Amino acid sequence: MSRRGLLLPLLGFLLHSLGCAAAPPQKDYTVFRSADPHSILVIPVVNNTTNVEAPGLFLSTIPIPVAERGYYVFPVNMVKRVLEDEGLSDPNLVHTADTARLCNLFGADSVLYVSIEAWTAQYLLITTQVTVEFDYVMKDGKTGDTIWKEHKKVVYAPQQQNSGGSPLAALVAAAVQAAVTKAAPNYMPLARQANAEVFNTPGVGLPAGPYNPEYGENPNPVK
Amino acid sequence: MTVRRPPFLLLAAFVAVAATGCASKTAYLWGDYDSVLYSHYANPQDSERYLERLGQIVQRAEVEKDKVPPGLYAEYGYALFEAGRLDEALTYYRKEREEWEESRVFMDKMIRNTQRLKENRPGPAPGGELPPPAGIPPGAVTDGEAK
Repeated sequence: MSRRGLLLPLLGFLLHSLGCAAAPPQKDYTVFRSADPHSILVIPVVNNTTNVEAPGLFLSTIPIPVAERGYYVFPVNMVKRVLEDEGLSDPNLVHTADTARLCNLFGADSVLYVSIEAWTAQYLLITTQVTVEFDYVMKDGKTGDTIWKEHKKVVYAPQQQNSGGSPLAALVAAAVQAAVTKAAPNYMPLARQANAEVFNTPGVGLPAGPYNPEYGENPNPVK
Repeated sequence: MTVRRPPFLLLAAFVAVAATGCASKTAYLWGDYDSVLYSHYANPQDSERYLERLGQIVQRAEVEKDKVPPGLYAEYGYALFEAGRLDEALTYYRKEREEWEESRVFMDKMIRNTQRLKENRPGPAPGGELPPPAGIPPGAVTDGEAK
């Protein structure tokens, strides 16, 4: 066996262990690649929780990370308003509408369907535990097939005292804690964090789009 | 006692800077687009502020990065449209269309509809500003169906 044969798996292992502690199984991007979407229509999110602010807040955090992956992202608020004018002010209606028709209306290659499954602040004795959970599904505008999906749950339970760790980590934790434990928790950092992990994690995230220099590279570096 | 506040604010600012420092390798200059959108949803009646803040983001991206993020020209254009400033809305729809070919189908529709709306309402008073439309009829914004 050549040297390469040994090096590659080793490199793969290194990358793998660097990625994250419990790396999820890598995705098969065959369908995604054949669809090769250049533009993504982000539609209003479905809210499966009782929090009325969640959908607006979460929708606001989606365009930036998706566009940064290298796609054209349609203007979310404009799309939302236009859909409302079309009689589709209920996100559930938009989500059950025919994908191809929806894409046709905007000239989009694909649609990103997002739903909020959990958005709660649990006030415990001395701390507040915040849980957010989201479902992401991307469908091809031509076939309506699912080309990518992901599920994300983030639980944040700040400690009362931060023992050990770097001073910066402690500072960040303190800032997040301050944001979270107020009467109205600030979910923005949690939503951003969930999105960043979902869209950017190599091997499971969104493959690089045409405006990303990595476009066309294998999203599964280990294979 | 109250002296304790400024140091905490400073700390918070430091953390914010440190946190964004790690993630500042973005392709586009977004400003605080996500917060602006969220404020708009939390406070829908404050549309003037929304329009103003969107305008600032677009302008800054144009000047500092020479590239406005995807969707932002259109988003700003639509905010102008909602404020009744149809001519400016058209300008920004066209900018979006020119900058991003993926937006053409959508922008062409919006441009057509806005022009139609413009023709159907009284022109600007001589020398004066365009009055906001008394009420945009529902369905006037889009074609209804993709044809």
